Amino acid sequence: MKPHLSLTRILTTLALATLLTACAGPGPKPDSELQSAESSIKQAEASDARRFQPVLLNEAMNKVADARALIDEEEYTEARRLLEQAEVDAQLAGASSETEKAQRAVAEINNNIENLHQQLNSNQQ
Amino acid sequence: MNATLSIGFSVGLSILIAGCASTPKQNASIDEARSAYMAIEQDPNVARSGAAQLRQAKLELDRAQSLLEDGADINRVEHVAYLAQRHAEIALQQGKRADLEEEISSAEERRKQLMLQMKSNEASEARMEAEALRAEMAALKAEKTERGMVLTLGDVLFDLNEADLKASGKRTVERLAEFMEQYQERRVRIEGYTDSTGAAEYNQGLSERRAMAVRSELMNQGIPGSRIEVEGYGEAYPVATNDTSAGRQQNRRVEIVISDESGSISTR
Repeated sequence: MKPHLSLTRILTTLALATLLTACAGPGPKPDSELQSAESSIKQAEASDARRFQPVLLNEAMNKVADARALIDEEEYTEARRLLEQAEVDAQLAGASSETEKAQRAVAEINNNIENLHQQLNSNQQ
Repeated sequence: MNATLSIGFSVGLSILIAGCASTPKQNASIDEARSAYMAIEQDPNVARSGAAQLRQAKLELDRAQSLLEDGADINRVEHVAYLAQRHAEIALQQGKRADLEEEISSAEERRKQLMLQMKSNEASEARMEAEALRAEMAALKAEKTERGMVLTLGDVLFDLNEADLKASGKRTVERLAEFMEQYQERRVRIEGYTDSTGAAEYNQGLSERRAMAVRSELMNQGIPGSRIEVEGYGEAYPVATNDTSAGRQQNRRVEIVISDESGSISTR
Protein backbone atom coordinates (compact mmCIF):
# COMPACT_ATOMS: atom_id res chain seq x y z
CA MET A 1 0.00 0.00 0.00
CA LYS A 2 2.86 2.32 0.74
CA PRO A 3 4.29 2.76 -2.80
CA HIS A 4 0.76 3.35 -4.14
CA LEU A 5 0.24 6.13 -1.68
CA SER A 6 3.45 7.92 -2.56
CA LEU A 7 2.51 7.72 -6.30
CA THR A 8 -0.76 9.50 -5.60
CA ARG A 9 1.12 12.07 -3.60
CA ILE A 10 3.56 12.65 -6.43
CA LEU A 11 0.71 13.01 -8.91
CA THR A 12 -1.05 15.48 -6.67
CA THR A 13 2.08 17.54 -6.22
CA LEU A 14 2.65 17.55 -9.95
CA ALA A 15 -0.90 18.62 -10.67
CA LEU A 16 -0.64 21.35 -8.08
CA ALA A 17 2.61 22.57 -9.50
CA THR A 18 1.14 22.70 -13.00
CA LEU A 19 -1.84 24.59 -11.71
CA LEU A 20 0.38 27.03 -9.91
CA THR A 21 2.54 27.81 -12.93
CA ALA A 22 -0.51 28.22 -15.14
CA CYS A 23 -2.26 30.59 -12.79
CA ALA A 24 0.72 32.27 -11.26
CA GLY A 25 0.20 35.36 -13.46
CA PRO A 26 3.39 37.09 -14.55
CA GLY A 27 5.53 33.94 -14.31
CA PRO A 28 9.32 34.11 -14.10
CA LYS A 29 11.41 37.02 -15.29
CA PRO A 30 11.76 36.77 -19.13
CA ASP A 31 15.54 36.69 -19.10
CA SER A 32 15.97 34.18 -21.90
CA GLU A 33 13.45 36.05 -24.08
CA LEU A 34 15.43 39.23 -23.54
CA GLN A 35 18.58 37.45 -24.57
CA SER A 36 17.05 35.97 -27.73
CA ALA A 37 15.53 39.29 -28.76
CA GLU A 38 18.84 41.06 -28.36
CA SER A 39 20.79 38.46 -30.25
CA SER A 40 18.24 38.58 -33.08
CA ILE A 41 18.73 42.35 -33.26
CA LYS A 42 22.50 41.86 -33.42
CA GLN A 43 22.08 39.36 -36.23
CA ALA A 44 19.78 41.72 -38.11
CA GLU A 45 22.36 44.47 -37.78
CA ALA A 46 24.99 42.09 -39.14
CA SER A 47 22.70 41.61 -42.15
CA ASP A 48 22.73 45.39 -42.70
CA ALA A 49 19.15 45.85 -41.50
CA ARG A 50 20.10 49.34 -40.35
CA ARG A 51 20.47 50.20 -44.01
CA PHE A 52 17.80 48.04 -45.65
CA GLN A 53 15.08 47.70 -42.99
CA PRO A 54 15.58 50.58 -40.55
CA VAL A 55 11.89 50.95 -39.63
CA LEU A 56 11.39 47.32 -38.69
CA LEU A 57 14.71 47.17 -36.88
CA ASN A 58 13.78 50.26 -34.90
CA GLU A 59 10.46 48.74 -34.00
CA ALA A 60 12.25 45.71 -32.59
CA MET A 61 14.65 47.87 -30.61
CA ASN A 62 11.83 49.99 -29.19
CA LYS A 63 9.99 46.89 -28.09
CA VAL A 64 13.09 45.68 -26.26
CA ALA A 65 13.47 49.06 -24.56
CA ASP A 66 9.81 49.03 -23.52
CA ALA A 67 10.18 45.46 -22.27
CA ARG A 68 13.12 46.44 -20.10
CA ALA A 69 11.01 49.13 -18.48
CA LEU A 70 8.21 46.62 -17.90
CA ILE A 71 10.64 44.14 -16.37
CA ASP A 72 11.70 46.82 -13.91
CA GLU A 73 8.04 47.15 -12.96
CA GLU A 74 7.77 43.35 -12.75
CA GLU A 75 5.20 43.33 -15.55
CA TYR A 76 6.66 40.11 -16.88
CA THR A 77 3.78 38.90 -19.03
CA GLU A 78 3.58 42.02 -21.13
CA ALA A 79 7.39 42.26 -21.22
CA ARG A 80 7.60 38.67 -22.48
CA ARG A 81 5.16 39.38 -25.30
CA LEU A 82 7.06 42.44 -26.39
CA LEU A 83 10.31 40.50 -26.37
CA GLU A 84 8.84 37.64 -28.40
CA GLN A 85 7.58 40.16 -30.94
CA ALA A 86 10.90 42.02 -30.99
CA GLU A 87 12.65 38.74 -31.77
CA VAL A 88 10.53 37.96 -34.84
CA ASP A 89 10.56 41.60 -35.94
CA ALA A 90 14.34 41.58 -35.89
CA GLN A 91 14.47 38.22 -37.66
CA LEU A 92 12.22 39.56 -40.39
CA ALA A 93 14.32 42.71 -40.69
CA GLY A 94 17.43 40.57 -41.12
CA ALA A 95 15.81 38.15 -43.56
CA SER A 96 14.42 40.85 -45.82
CA SER A 97 17.74 42.72 -45.74
CA GLU A 98 19.40 39.57 -47.02
CA THR A 99 16.77 39.30 -49.75
CA GLU A 100 17.35 42.91 -50.72
CA LYS A 101 21.10 42.36 -50.90
CA ALA A 102 20.64 39.27 -53.05
CA GLN A 103 18.33 41.25 -55.32
CA ARG A 104 20.99 43.92 -55.77
CA ALA A 105 23.62 41.31 -56.47
CA VAL A 106 21.38 39.81 -59.18
CA ALA A 107 20.88 43.24 -60.74
CA GLU A 108 24.59 43.93 -60.68
CA ILE A 109 25.64 40.66 -62.23
CA ASN A 110 22.94 40.92 -64.91
CA ASN A 111 24.18 44.38 -65.70
CA ASN A 112 27.66 42.96 -65.97
CA ILE A 113 26.49 40.25 -68.34
CA GLU A 114 24.67 42.81 -70.47
CA ASN A 115 27.91 44.81 -70.79
CA LEU A 116 29.85 41.72 -71.76
CA HIS A 117 27.24 40.89 -74.40
CA GLN A 118 27.51 44.37 -75.84
CA GLN A 119 31.29 44.19 -75.91
CA LEU A 120 31.20 40.82 -77.62
CA ASN A 121 28.73 42.07 -80.21
CA SER A 122 30.65 45.24 -80.94
CA ASN A 123 33.89 43.27 -81.27
CA GLN A 124 32.30 40.97 -83.80
CA GLN A 125 31.17 43.86 -85.98
CA MET B 1 -6.87 4.08 -9.68
CA ASN B 2 -10.10 3.21 -11.49
CA ALA B 3 -11.67 6.41 -10.27
CA THR B 4 -8.76 8.49 -11.54
CA LEU B 5 -8.97 6.81 -14.91
CA SER B 6 -12.66 7.44 -15.32
CA ILE B 7 -12.24 11.05 -14.31
CA GLY B 8 -9.57 11.40 -16.94
CA PHE B 9 -11.87 9.91 -19.56
CA SER B 10 -14.72 12.17 -18.74
CA VAL B 11 -12.51 15.25 -18.85
CA GLY B 12 -11.17 14.18 -22.23
CA LEU B 13 -14.66 13.53 -23.52
CA SER B 14 -15.96 16.87 -22.39
CA ILE B 15 -13.09 18.62 -24.16
CA LEU B 16 -13.89 16.63 -27.29
CA ILE B 17 -17.56 17.56 -27.10
CA ALA B 18 -16.73 21.22 -26.51
CA GLY B 19 -14.39 21.11 -29.51
CA CYS B 20 -17.07 19.73 -31.82
CA ALA B 21 -19.95 21.66 -30.46
CA SER B 22 -19.24 24.99 -32.15
CA THR B 23 -17.92 26.14 -35.55
CA PRO B 24 -14.39 27.62 -35.29
CA LYS B 25 -14.31 31.14 -33.97
CA GLN B 26 -13.04 33.95 -36.21
CA ASN B 27 -10.38 36.55 -35.60
CA ALA B 28 -9.02 39.01 -38.19
CA SER B 29 -5.38 38.69 -37.08
CA ILE B 30 -5.54 34.92 -37.22
CA ASP B 31 -7.16 35.06 -40.64
CA GLU B 32 -4.43 37.34 -41.88
CA ALA B 33 -1.71 35.09 -40.51
CA ARG B 34 -3.43 32.06 -41.98
CA SER B 35 -3.56 33.54 -45.46
CA ALA B 36 0.12 34.54 -45.19
CA TYR B 37 0.86 30.96 -44.23
CA MET B 38 -1.28 29.41 -46.95
CA ALA B 39 0.30 31.62 -49.61
CA ILE B 40 3.70 30.02 -49.02
CA GLU B 41 2.74 26.56 -47.77
CA GLN B 42 3.38 25.00 -51.19
CA ASP B 43 6.28 27.26 -52.23
CA PRO B 44 9.22 24.99 -53.10
CA ASN B 45 11.76 27.74 -52.28
CA VAL B 46 10.24 28.15 -48.83
CA ALA B 47 10.21 24.38 -48.37
CA ARG B 48 13.90 24.34 -49.20
CA SER B 49 15.15 27.28 -47.15
CA GLY B 50 12.40 28.45 -44.83
CA ALA B 51 11.09 25.12 -43.56
CA ALA B 52 11.81 25.80 -39.87
CA GLN B 53 10.11 29.20 -39.95
CA LEU B 54 7.19 27.71 -41.89
CA ARG B 55 6.74 25.08 -39.18
CA GLN B 56 6.88 27.77 -36.50
CA ALA B 57 4.22 29.73 -38.37
CA LYS B 58 1.96 26.68 -38.45
CA LEU B 59 2.58 25.97 -34.78
CA GLU B 60 1.74 29.51 -33.68
CA LEU B 61 -1.23 29.61 -36.00
CA ASP B 62 -2.70 26.48 -34.41
CA ARG B 63 -1.92 27.83 -30.97
CA ALA B 64 -3.65 31.12 -31.72
CA GLN B 65 -6.71 29.30 -33.01
CA SER B 66 -6.97 27.04 -29.97
CA LEU B 67 -6.49 30.00 -27.61
CA LEU B 68 -9.33 31.68 -29.45
CA GLU B 69 -11.51 28.59 -29.13
CA ASP B 70 -10.76 28.38 -25.42
CA GLY B 71 -11.85 31.98 -25.00
CA ALA B 72 -8.42 33.17 -23.93
CA ASP B 73 -7.61 36.84 -23.44
CA ILE B 74 -7.87 38.53 -26.83
CA ASN B 75 -4.48 40.25 -26.39
CA ARG B 76 -2.90 36.86 -25.96
CA VAL B 77 -4.63 35.55 -29.10
CA GLU B 78 -3.54 38.58 -31.09
CA HIS B 79 0.01 38.22 -29.83
CA VAL B 80 0.29 34.61 -30.95
CA ALA B 81 -1.31 35.48 -34.30
CA TYR B 82 1.32 38.23 -34.66
CA LEU B 83 4.08 35.68 -34.11
CA ALA B 84 2.50 33.34 -36.67
CA GLN B 85 2.30 36.17 -39.18
CA ARG B 86 5.93 37.14 -38.68
CA HIS B 87 7.18 33.56 -38.97
CA ALA B 88 5.34 33.22 -42.27
CA GLU B 89 6.87 36.48 -43.50
CA ILE B 90 10.36 35.39 -42.48
CA ALA B 91 9.87 32.05 -44.24
CA LEU B 92 8.79 33.90 -47.38
CA GLN B 93 11.93 36.08 -47.30
CA GLN B 94 14.16 33.07 -46.77
CA GLY B 95 12.56 31.36 -49.75
CA LYS B 96 12.98 34.44 -51.93
CA ARG B 97 16.58 34.74 -50.94
CA ALA B 98 17.29 31.11 -51.81
CA ASP B 99 15.71 31.64 -55.20
CA LEU B 100 17.79 34.77 -55.80
CA GLU B 101 20.95 33.04 -54.74
CA GLU B 102 20.31 30.31 -57.27
CA GLU B 103 19.83 32.99 -59.88
CA ILE B 104 23.11 34.57 -58.84
CA SER B 105 25.08 31.38 -59.17
CA SER B 106 23.67 30.58 -62.60
CA ALA B 107 24.31 34.17 -63.71
CA GLU B 108 27.86 33.89 -62.45
CA GLU B 109 28.30 30.77 -64.52
CA ARG B 110 26.96 32.60 -67.56
CA ARG B 111 29.30 35.52 -66.91
CA LYS B 112 32.25 33.17 -66.65
CA GLN B 113 31.34 31.61 -69.99
CA LEU B 114 31.06 35.02 -71.62
CA MET B 115 34.42 36.10 -70.28
CA LEU B 116 36.02 32.92 -71.56
CA GLN B 117 34.42 33.47 -74.93
CA MET B 118 35.67 37.03 -74.99
CA LYS B 119 39.17 35.95 -74.11
CA SER B 120 39.24 33.32 -76.83
CA ASN B 121 37.83 35.83 -79.32
CA GLU B 122 40.57 38.25 -78.42
CA ALA B 123 43.19 35.55 -78.72
CA SER B 124 41.97 34.43 -82.11
CA GLU B 125 41.76 38.03 -83.29
CA ALA B 126 45.35 38.59 -82.24
CA ARG B 127 46.34 35.36 -83.96
CA MET B 128 44.57 36.40 -87.14
CA GLU B 129 46.22 39.80 -87.06
CA ALA B 130 49.65 38.30 -86.63
CA GLU B 131 48.92 35.86 -89.42
CA ALA B 132 47.77 38.66 -91.72
CA LEU B 133 50.88 40.67 -90.95
CA ARG B 134 53.10 37.71 -91.74
CA ALA B 135 51.27 37.21 -95.04
CA GLU B 136 51.62 40.90 -95.95
CA MET B 137 55.31 40.88 -95.15
CA ALA B 138 55.75 37.76 -97.24
CA ALA B 139 53.89 39.40 -100.14
CA LEU B 140 56.26 42.38 -99.91
CA LYS B 141 59.18 39.96 -99.87
CA ALA B 142 60.42 41.64 -96.71
CA GLU B 143 63.25 39.88 -94.94
CA LYS B 144 63.73 39.62 -91.26
CA THR B 145 67.06 41.19 -90.24
CA GLU B 146 68.50 42.41 -86.95
CA ARG B 147 67.22 45.88 -87.87
CA GLY B 148 63.70 44.51 -88.27
CA MET B 149 61.80 43.67 -91.42
CA VAL B 150 63.66 44.98 -94.46
CA LEU B 151 62.28 45.23 -97.96
CA THR B 152 64.88 45.60 -100.70
CA LEU B 153 64.08 47.37 -103.96
CA GLY B 154 66.67 46.18 -106.42
CA ASP B 155 68.49 48.23 -109.04
CA VAL B 156 66.20 46.87 -111.76
CA LEU B 157 63.34 48.94 -110.34
CA PHE B 158 65.17 52.14 -111.27
CA ASP B 159 66.43 53.42 -114.59
CA LEU B 160 70.21 53.35 -114.82
CA ASN B 161 71.72 56.33 -113.02
CA GLU B 162 68.20 57.75 -112.67
CA ALA B 163 66.10 58.27 -109.60
CA ASP B 164 62.75 57.54 -111.29
CA LEU B 165 60.95 54.40 -110.33
CA LYS B 166 60.01 52.02 -113.10
CA ALA B 167 56.42 50.77 -113.32
CA SER B 168 57.36 47.52 -111.55
CA GLY B 169 59.02 49.57 -108.79
CA LYS B 170 55.86 51.63 -108.39
CA ARG B 171 53.79 48.47 -107.98
CA THR B 172 56.06 47.34 -105.15
CA VAL B 173 55.73 50.74 -103.43
CA GLU B 174 51.96 50.55 -103.93
CA ARG B 175 51.88 47.30 -101.99
CA LEU B 176 53.98 48.90 -99.27
CA ALA B 177 51.53 51.81 -99.13
CA GLU B 178 48.62 49.39 -98.76
CA PHE B 179 50.49 47.70 -95.96
CA MET B 180 51.11 51.03 -94.20
CA GLU B 181 47.50 52.00 -94.71
CA GLN B 182 46.45 48.89 -92.85
CA TYR B 183 49.05 49.06 -90.09
CA GLN B 184 48.83 52.70 -89.08
CA GLU B 185 51.30 52.33 -86.22
CA ARG B 186 54.11 51.26 -88.60
CA ARG B 187 56.64 53.71 -89.99
CA VAL B 188 59.35 53.17 -92.59
CA ARG B 189 62.90 54.29 -93.14
CA ILE B 190 63.96 54.46 -96.76
CA GLU B 191 67.68 54.01 -97.31
CA GLY B 192 69.47 54.49 -100.66
CA TYR B 193 72.72 52.67 -101.57
CA THR B 194 74.97 52.60 -104.66
CA ASP B 195 77.97 50.67 -105.88
CA SER B 196 81.46 52.21 -105.80
CA THR B 197 81.61 53.07 -109.49
CA GLY B 198 82.01 56.82 -110.09
CA ALA B 199 82.54 59.71 -107.69
CA ALA B 200 81.53 59.19 -104.10
CA GLU B 201 79.70 62.51 -104.02
CA TYR B 202 77.70 61.63 -107.08
CA ASN B 203 76.86 58.26 -105.54
CA GLN B 204 75.81 59.94 -102.30
CA GLY B 205 73.46 62.22 -104.21
CA LEU B 206 72.08 59.37 -106.31
CA SER B 207 71.36 57.27 -103.23
CA GLU B 208 69.50 60.20 -101.67
CA ARG B 209 67.51 60.94 -104.83
CA ARG B 210 66.44 57.32 -105.18
CA ALA B 211 65.35 57.18 -101.55
CA MET B 212 63.42 60.43 -102.04
CA ALA B 213 61.78 59.00 -105.16
CA VAL B 214 60.41 56.13 -103.12
CA ARG B 215 59.26 58.58 -100.44
CA SER B 216 57.33 60.74 -102.87
CA GLU B 217 55.74 57.70 -104.45
CA LEU B 218 54.61 56.58 -100.98
CA MET B 219 53.22 60.05 -100.30
CA ASN B 220 51.44 59.94 -103.68
CA GLN B 221 49.75 56.84 -102.35
CA GLY B 222 48.49 58.83 -99.36
CA ILE B 223 51.07 57.97 -96.70
CA PRO B 224 51.92 61.07 -94.61
CA GLY B 225 55.56 62.18 -94.66
CA SER B 226 55.73 61.99 -90.91
CA ARG B 227 55.71 58.21 -91.19
CA ILE B 228 58.64 58.13 -93.59
CA GLU B 229 62.32 58.69 -92.83
CA VAL B 230 64.84 59.01 -95.62
CA GLU B 231 68.62 58.48 -95.67
CA GLY B 232 71.20 58.22 -98.44
CA TYR B 233 74.29 56.12 -97.69
CA GLY B 234 76.03 56.34 -101.05
CA GLU B 235 78.71 53.65 -101.44
CA ALA B 236 78.62 52.63 -97.77
CA TYR B 237 77.38 49.27 -96.53
CA PRO B 238 77.80 47.17 -99.68
CA VAL B 239 76.03 43.82 -99.54
CA ALA B 240 78.29 42.25 -102.18
CA THR B 241 81.64 42.78 -103.86
CA ASN B 242 82.05 45.78 -106.13
CA ASP B 243 84.54 43.82 -108.24
CA THR B 244 81.97 42.01 -110.35
CA SER B 245 79.04 43.41 -112.26
CA ALA B 246 76.64 41.04 -110.48
CA GLY B 247 77.99 42.24 -107.11
CA ARG B 248 77.68 45.89 -108.10
CA GLN B 249 74.09 45.34 -109.19
CA GLN B 250 73.31 43.95 -105.74
CA ASN B 251 74.89 46.97 -104.11
CA ARG B 252 72.71 49.38 -106.09
CA ARG B 253 69.53 49.22 -104.11
CA VAL B 254 66.99 50.91 -101.89
CA GLU B 255 66.24 49.27 -98.55
CA ILE B 256 63.00 49.96 -96.72
CA VAL B 257 63.15 49.22 -93.02
CA ILE B 258 59.72 48.64 -91.48
CA SER B 259 59.30 49.79 -87.89
CA ASP B 260 57.96 47.71 -85.02
CA GLU B 261 54.41 48.32 -83.84
CA SER B 262 55.49 51.21 -81.61
CA GLY B 263 56.82 52.99 -84.71
CA SER B 264 60.50 52.92 -83.80
CA ILE B 265 63.21 51.96 -86.24
CA SER B 266 66.79 51.15 -85.34
CA THR B 267 69.26 53.16 -87.40
CA ARG B 268 72.62 52.09 -88.69
